[in-house]
Amino acid sequence: MWAETRAAIEEVSRSRAARGLTPSETATFVFSLKEPLFDLMRQKVGKDADRLAEEIWTATMLLDKLGLFTAEVFQKSREEIIARQQRELLELSTPVVRLWEGVLALPLIGTLDSERTQTVMESLLEEIVNSGAEIAIIDITGVPTVDTLVAQHLIKTVAAARLMGADCIINGIRPQIAQTIVHLGLELGVVSKGTMADAFALALRRLGKTVVDRSPEC
Amino acid sequence: MAEIPVLKIGDCLLVSIQVDMHDRLAMELQDELTNRIVADRARGVMIDISALEIVDSFIGRMLNNIAAMSRVLDAVTVVVGMRPAVAITLVELGLSLTGVRTALNVDKGLALIREAIDDPGGALGRRER
Repeated sequence: MWAETRAAIEEVSRSRAARGLTPSETATFVFSLKEPLFDLMRQKVGKDADRLAEEIWTATMLLDKLGLFTAEVFQKSREEIIARQQRELLELSTPVVRLWEGVLALPLIGTLDSERTQTVMESLLEEIVNSGAEIAIIDITGVPTVDTLVAQHLIKTVAAARLMGADCIINGIRPQIAQTIVHLGLELGVVSKGTMADAFALALRRLGKTVVDRSPEC
Repeated sequence: MAEIPVLKIGDCLLVSIQVDMHDRLAMELQDELTNRIVADRARGVMIDISALEIVDSFIGRMLNNIAAMSRVLDAVTVVVGMRPAVAITLVELGLSLTGVRTALNVDKGLALIREAIDDPGGALGRRER
C-alpha cells in the first residue's frame, strides 16, 4: 500500500520539479493533508485527550516522513534535469563540421573550461581521423573572453591536431581578445585569420584549390 | 634489431612500429635508423606509429631526437598515424614535438616527404613555417 503512495507522491513531485515549482510548495502539498486529517481525528476520537494526542503524533510522524520523501524526490529530479542539461550543452556546443574534402571547422561558442576543451579536443581529433582532414579551422567568434587558461587550452588543441598531421587556422579573434592576448604576452603559434571566409579561402589555397567566378554566358 | 624492421622504399626509409616500445628498443631503433640513413643515403624517414597505443615522454623525446638527427644527416622525418589519445597524452606531457613533421597516414606522409625533398628551398616545410 505504501509503495503505491510513494509512487504517487514521486510522480507529483517529479512533475512539479519539471514545472519549476519551489521545494516548499511541493512539500506543502503533503503537509496540507494535516489539517483535514486532524479535524477528522478530533471528530472520531472525541473528548479522550490522551488518545487524540497519540493518534495525532502517529499521523504527524507519517506525514513528516512523506513530506521529507517528497522533498528528496524533488531534489533528485531537479539534479537529474541539471545533469541532463549539462550533458546536452556539452554535446551541443562542440560540433565538428566538414566544410570541404580535407577541411574541418570547429565553431566554438561560450567559455572554454578544461572539461569542454577536453571534449572539443577529442571530438576534433576523432573527426580528423575519420575524415582524413588536413586542415582544421577553429572559429572562436563565439568565445567571449580569452584568458591565459583558455589560450592554453587552444594551444593544446592546436598542438594535438598538429601531432595527428593536421594544420589549424584560428579565426574570429575579437579586437578585445587580440589586446588581451598581446597584453598577457601569449603566443598562440598558429595562423590567424579575420573571418571564417578568409580562413576557408586559405585552407582551399593550401589544398591547391581555387574558387573562380562562373563567366556570365554560362 | 629483429623487432622493428626498417624498410627501404626508393630513397625513403619506412619504420612501422608494431610492438610496444620500451626504452632499450627505442635506443636501438635510433641507432639503426641513423646508420641506415647514411648507408642507404636516404632522403626521407617515415615512422608509422598507428599501432602504438602508449607513448611516454621517453618515446616522445626519441621521436624528436630522430627528427633532429636525420635533419643533420640531410633527411626529412615524418611521423604518421598518431592516435588521438596519444596526441592528447603528448600534449599534456608538454611534448608538442615542434621539430617533427606529422601526417595523418602513410600516403600523406610520403607526399609530404616528396614535397620537402623536391623543394629544398622550403626545406623547413609548411609545418614549421
